[in-house]
Amino acid sequence: MVDLSITVAGLKLATPLMLASGTVGYGPEYDGLIDFTRVGAIVTKTVTPRPRAGNTPPRLAETRGGMLNSIGLENVGLDGFLSEKLAEAGRLPTLVIASVAGETPDEFASLCEAVGERGETAGLELNVSCPNVKRARRPLWADPDGVAAVVTAARRATDKPLFLKLSPNAADVRSVAEAGEAAGADALVVANTLPGMRIDVTTRAPMLGNRFGGLSGPALLPVNLALVWKLSDSVGIPIVGSGGIERTEDALEYMMAGASAFQVGTALFRSPSVVDQIVDGLAKHAVTDGINCLSGYTGAAKEVETPCQRTRAD
Amino acid sequence: MLLTCRLLTQFETVEPGQFVHVDTGPERTFRRPFSVAGVTPAGEVELLIELRGGGTRALAELPVGASLTMMGPLGRGFTLVDARAAGAPSRAAESDPRAAGAAPRAAGAAPRAAVVAGGIGVAGVRLLAQRLFESGVDTSLFVGARTADALLDATLPEPDAVRVATDDGSRGFHGTVCDLFTAESVDLPGNTTVYGCGPRAMLDALAVVAGERGMACELSLEEMMACGVGACRGCVVSTVDGYRTVCKDGPVFNASVLVPEGSAMEVAGG
Repeated sequence: MVDLSITVAGLKLATPLMLASGTVGYGPEYDGLIDFTRVGAIVTKTVTPRPRAGNTPPRLAETRGGMLNSIGLENVGLDGFLSEKLAEAGRLPTLVIASVAGETPDEFASLCEAVGERGETAGLELNVSCPNVKRARRPLWADPDGVAAVVTAARRATDKPLFLKLSPNAADVRSVAEAGEAAGADALVVANTLPGMRIDVTTRAPMLGNRFGGLSGPALLPVNLALVWKLSDSVGIPIVGSGGIERTEDALEYMMAGASAFQVGTALFRSPSVVDQIVDGLAKHAVTDGINCLSGYTGAAKEVETPCQRTRAD
Repeated sequence: MLLTCRLLTQFETVEPGQFVHVDTGPERTFRRPFSVAGVTPAGEVELLIELRGGGTRALAELPVGASLTMMGPLGRGFTLVDARAAGAPSRAAESDPRAAGAAPRAAGAAPRAAVVAGGIGVAGVRLLAQRLFESGVDTSLFVGARTADALLDATLPEPDAVRVATDDGSRGFHGTVCDLFTAESVDLPGNTTVYGCGPRAMLDALAVVAGERGMACELSLEEMMACGVGACRGCVVSTVDGYRTVCKDGPVFNASVLVPEGSAMEVAGG
C-alpha cells in the first residue's frame, strides 16, 4: 500500500489532491458525491469582508477545452462564513483551507486573523488573483509590492500556513512569487485562471454578463504547467500546481514540473468521481514506478534530488 | 427525442420539475441539465430532449443500450396543488404578496391547475401534468411552439385535452402560448395555480398574466450550469432576495420572487 500522504507548508495532506477555490463551494455541497477522505484539502469559496452579490449573469460559458466563469466572488461575507459555512466545512473528513480576499492589506489581515483563529481552519489561501474583480490601478496580482504588502499583513495576523494564489496573467510572475515568499508565504498556488471572453454570433453580444471571465480547464494546463516549472527554480517554498487537471497524468505533469501538491477544480463539474480516478491512478503509478512516497515525483522532470528516492533497484 | 434511462441506483422520489445532470462526454466541460420528463412504472427515467448542440447531439447518437452517467434528482421542483384541500390556498399563494387580496378565491372550490409550456419547456412539466391528473386536480394544459412540427403536445398525458398555439399559426391558436393562456384563462377561478416552463420571455409574460388574475404561479427556469449542486454560483438568476441558483434554489421558483429579465430591478453587479 502506497502512502499517498504528503506534507505541504507544514500540513499533512491525506493525498496531494486539493479541491480548488470556487469550484467546491464551502464543501458540503458535494457531500455524498465526493469521498472527502481522499481529498488532501478543500479550498473554500473566497470570503470577503462583506457579502458580495457577484457579477451580472450569465456567468458561465463553455469553451473548447475548458470554460469561462465570471462569478465575481459571490460569497456570504466574513460573518456568514464564520457563523455557518466554516463549521459546516470543518465537519468534512478533510482539511479546510479558507480562501480570503480583501481590497487592502488591512482587510486581508482582518480576514486572516478572524478565520485563522478558528480550529476548523488548517490554512489560508490569499486570493490576490481573481480576474473578475475590477480594480482602479494596476491589478494586485501583477504588483510585487502590493502582493508583498498583503502577505506581510496576513503573516502578522495568523500563524496558520499561508498559500499565495498567483495569477498566470502577470508579465513578471516570478517577481510576484519572490515578493510573496520574502514576505512570508508558506506555499504558492500556481495558478488562477487567465482572462478571456466569447461572443454569441447570433446576438452579437459577449456570452458573459461581465464580458470577460477566467479561463479554466484543460486549455489552461500547459500555461500554468510552464509557470510551475519556472517558479520552482526561483522560490524555495512548495508549489501547489493548478490549472486544467482532469486525469492522473495531468497531476503528475504538475508534480514532475516541481509541484508538491495540486488542485482540481473545473474537472469536478463534469465528474465529481474525478477525485477517485486521480487518486487511484496516483497509487497505481507509484507502484509501477517503485515510488513509496509521492513527493518522489516532485521535480522529477528536472532530475532534482528529492526527499524520497526511487526504491526500485534498476 | 425521448430518452429512456434505466438507472443502476433507483431514485427514491422525484419531484416534478427536478432535473438530472448528464455527462455527455469529455468534449464538453459541463454536464447538461434535463428535466425529469417522466418516470416509468419500472422506475426508468424519461428525458425529453431537443437537439440544440454538441451535447444533445451526442445523446441522440447513442445506440440503444449505451451507458450514461447522470446525477439526480437535483433541485427544487413544483409545489403540487392538493385536489382535496378545498378552499385552501396553495402554499405558493400564501407566500405571494402580489396575489394576496387580489381575486377572491371561490370558497370551498377545489384548487385547479393550469400548465403552460413553450417549446422544449414541455419536458419540464410533463411529469407534473401526469401527477396532477393522477391526483385528480382539474388541470388545463397549454402548449406552444414556433411551428406545428415543433409542438410537443402529443408527449403529454391526455394530449387531446391540450390547447395548442403556434407562432406561425400552422396549428391551433396563432400566437404565443402566453397569449393563448391569456385568452382562455379568463374563466378560470382565482384559486388556479399556474405552472410554467419555457423561454424566459414567455415565463416573464406568464407571470404578469397570472399576477393580474391573482393566481399563484410557479415557473421552471433554465440556465447554463456547471456544478449542478449549488457550489459554483454560475447559474444564478435575479430574485427579490438577490441572486439565487437555478440548480439548487430552483429550477422552480415562485413567480413572485423572480425579477423579470432585463428589468431595472435586476441586481447590480458587484
